Amino acid sequence: MAETSEAKPSAPPPGGDAGEDDKRDERMLECNICLDTARDAVVSMCGHLFCWPCLHQWLETRPSRQVCPVCKAAISREKVIPLYGRGNTKQEDPRNKVPPRPAGQRTEPESAGGFPGFGFGEGFHMSFGIGAFPFGVFTSTFNFGDPRPSAAPRGTAQFEEEQFLSKIFLWVAILFVLWLVFA
Amino acid sequence: MANIAAKRIKREFKEVMNSEEVAGGYIKLALVNDSWTELQGTIVGPPDTPYEGGTFQLEIKVPETYPFNPPKIRFVTKIWHPNVSSVTGAICLDILKDQWAAALTLRTVLLSIQALLSAAEAGDPQDAVVAKQYRESQQLFLLTARHWTNVYAGGPSAIWEFDQKVQRLLDMGIDEHEARVALSHYDWELERATEQLFS
Ligand SMILES: [Zn+2]
Ligand SMILES: [Zn+2]
Repeated sequence: MAETSEAKPSAPPPGGDAGEDDKRDERMLECNICLDTARDAVVSMCGHLFCWPCLHQWLETRPSRQVCPVCKAAISREKVIPLYGRGNTKQEDPRNKVPPRPAGQRTEPESAGGFPGFGFGEGFHMSFGIGAFPFGVFTSTFNFGDPRPSAAPRGTAQFEEEQFLSKIFLWVAILFVLWLVFA
Repeated sequence: MANIAAKRIKREFKEVMNSEEVAGGYIKLALVNDSWTELQGTIVGPPDTPYEGGTFQLEIKVPETYPFNPPKIRFVTKIWHPNVSSVTGAICLDILKDQWAAALTLRTVLLSIQALLSAAEAGDPQDAVVAKQYRESQQLFLLTARHWTNVYAGGPSAIWEFDQKVQRLLDMGIDEHEARVALSHYDWELERATEQLFS
């Protein structure tokens, strides 16, 4: 290649000659996506440095192709290492901060407990419970989620009797519904 | 334009300007407007190719989502190459599509396009007619590419025979570029080109 050093038009930058070494050191800490000094820095398993917000956006842009923007090695959110410098007092994992992005974060419900059948039973009462005799039976038979404890232990005579009764009530209830529908 | 895109393009622009390739005159980059959304790239044809000695202009459009999505680049200078449309200048290059990576820069992209001129990818053509000629009559392809480089990109080697044929069609009142396209498409057979032009 031809030597063109004298053709370079730019004057040395203000602030004097910073030195090539200093410049190179700075560039070592530049994010490979925004080319700025990496903030909330993370490093991939392949050794490439990024701002977490930049890398996050890259991973969001192509969810089907999660590769390192530099060397195209496989990459994932779980397999990047946050870097903590000395100035960082809080040492918070940058991945825990929400990077600015349009989509909302999905939060899990507080507790998964409660009575799963409750809503169903309520609905039943509302639509059918208008003072007709079999409905009391009906709802108690169909309230699967009813939290009341089972009356009798399995295998006893009382248990058998309860089972029998509840079957009869079920049939009565079904017949009543059929009557309601077809009458 | 999104903040990160403009900021990055400004940095890249500086970097390209200080690069060896610019110093050596292999690539160039110029601003088209001051919003940093459109630039003009220039590459010179690589040595030992039919594009040698030519200067090729590229239109570079920077999307708002840059660098998470690739820049949109096409040849403005007409070129005869299997991976470039001879009509629109659209480029078929994987890194400008699904193989884009956010760490690629305008500098690396321009160098990749330049490399594409040295090593065409006939398996993934943009221009089917050019690709067919490239595969089936290599010699004719090289001459046609050199002719286009001479006419459109300021390349040094004129192909006298081709110029004559274009002139013949010009004399019949046909537009010069149209004549050249028809002749190039029909392997420089004057009769078939004429037939097609007047059909
Ligand atoms: Zn960054
Ligand atoms: Zn990497």
